[in-house]
Amino acid sequence: MKRLSVEICVCTKCVMNGAMDIIEAVEGLKKLKTQLRLNSQVDIVTRSFCSGADVCPLVCVNGERMEHSNSETVMAKIISLTSKDVK
Amino acid sequence: MRGIYTPVTQIRRQVFVEIAKAAFEGAPAATLEEIPYRIIPGEVPTYRDSVFKERAIIGERVRLGLGLPVRGAGEQGSITGDLDLARLNEKFYEGPLVNVIPFACNACEEKAYMVTDQCQGCLAHPCVSVCPVKAISIVNGRSQIDKSKCIKCGRCKDACPYSAIVKAERPCAAACGVDAIESDYLGRASINHDKCVSCGQCLVSCPFAAIADKSQIFQLVEALKAPGEVIAAIAPSFVGQFGPMATPERVKKALLDLGFSGVYEVAIGADLGAVEEAHHYAHKVATGEEPYFATSCCPSWSVMAKRDFPTVAPYVSSALTPMVATARIVKKEHPDAQVVFVGPCAAKKLEAARRSVRSDVDFVITFEELMGMFVAKGIEFGENEPVEMTDATSGGRGYAVAGGVADAIGNCIRELYPELEVKIDRAEGLKNCKKMLALAKAGKRNGYLMEGMACPGGCVAGAGTILPIPKAATAVKQFQEAAKEKSPTQSAYHEADE
Repeated sequence: MKRLSVEICVCTKCVMNGAMDIIEAVEGLKKLKTQLRLNSQVDIVTRSFCSGADVCPLVCVNGERMEHSNSETVMAKIISLTSKDVK
Repeated sequence: MRGIYTPVTQIRRQVFVEIAKAAFEGAPAATLEEIPYRIIPGEVPTYRDSVFKERAIIGERVRLGLGLPVRGAGEQGSITGDLDLARLNEKFYEGPLVNVIPFACNACEEKAYMVTDQCQGCLAHPCVSVCPVKAISIVNGRSQIDKSKCIKCGRCKDACPYSAIVKAERPCAAACGVDAIESDYLGRASINHDKCVSCGQCLVSCPFAAIADKSQIFQLVEALKAPGEVIAAIAPSFVGQFGPMATPERVKKALLDLGFSGVYEVAIGADLGAVEEAHHYAHKVATGEEPYFATSCCPSWSVMAKRDFPTVAPYVSSALTPMVATARIVKKEHPDAQVVFVGPCAAKKLEAARRSVRSDVDFVITFEELMGMFVAKGIEFGENEPVEMTDATSGGRGYAVAGGVADAIGNCIRELYPELEVKIDRAEGLKNCKKMLALAKAGKRNGYLMEGMACPGGCVAGAGTILPIPKAATAVKQFQEAAKEKSPTQSAYHEADE
């Protein structure tokens, strides 16, 4: 099974701007593994890496930076990457 | 809505950051006037039909954030015209605490039953059969409700086999456990302040960001900048609220970095209260001198219980709430210090404004407001050195979650009076609390210890929290396990209290 790395910045500003809710949304996605036909293991890493820049909340999915992200965009990104794998 | 990060959450938090930033920088009133333009830049509206309206609403949020009264669309004046009233380094509070910004309200229809597209126009149409006032008829093959006849009993909804009839209710009114949401002359929500207990559930439930409570951030920052001690008393539900990097020890350091001269756990006061209430149960309730006993640490619950159930009122605990007990310990050790309660709760702002508490607690801010201050000051948890936090016991820390108060008191009773059998009932959410109180009033809770929590989930679900509720409850559990002493009877503060 492939692995998908989701790094979520949890600096003060990112947390205030919804980083914890993004974590919750990604964890919730794992529970929809069957419905979404996810064939990758989603690894969530939390650390502070946005360096206080005006990009909060910052998320990296498989190394790709997603600035000003939210639950919606991060979930869509994960699903698009895993659905490519299904094909 | 509660526990989901939405644009409403974003706006609320942005306002806190901007006010805190302006206060820390000692910015002039003109800077505060710019806040709506910083939060809503450009000429194109983002959330509503007009960018001017969006900014005007932010302007009223700024006013409430400064502690100033909210205004209607017909009132003329700049945001900070009366700022001098609020530019203090001491508590500034004028009721009401929770306010509807009238022109932000969507004027959602009050409770109504509606037929959706799911209606199949079925042969049986049980909705028509069960309606006691003949308000439902079949029009063009589908059910139709005559609103002028409908008495909103909900029987049609229950009878529909396709779940095609829905109950529409204002989110603010649905969240309110004391029916305090009414309508103004334009059909917009208005709060009946005689009924409101300031739990804050309406403000986190309004999808149009039309409800907000007053804040004391601005005055608190002024106090932090002024000479003199300012000490934080932090409620046990704080763990995990500021993200995974913010361990309890790092939060303590962050508060010191923010300018506080000391930090106390409010769970200390919970420890003292749990033991006092255990003795009370044993001496009064178990002996039959009093019929039952209700906890008092949640201000919304205790205000509602005392006001709406006068026969129950004498049996609501008279022990100091954890906030007040802790504040008194702080004032005893630091007589000249200002005490700031940092917690999850809007209602604590009102409790602190009571005449009997005013001299104990100088400011109350929520975790969300504190987060705004951390961001404004650029405080990062990963960079600071942790400071030990070992004040309270596991029992006291457990007050943060629903059931935790009764657990702590119950365990103290079992420990101190092993011969006694403890009967416990508890309720979360004011509607459920009312049901429990009605049972007590009817004599069906005699011999019981009753715990009431206005917020479903307990303090971790308060209106001023940041973390999703299940995660917060887990974090509290871990914090409880980390406590050196397990039982409130082991608290070192009992001696100090005597």
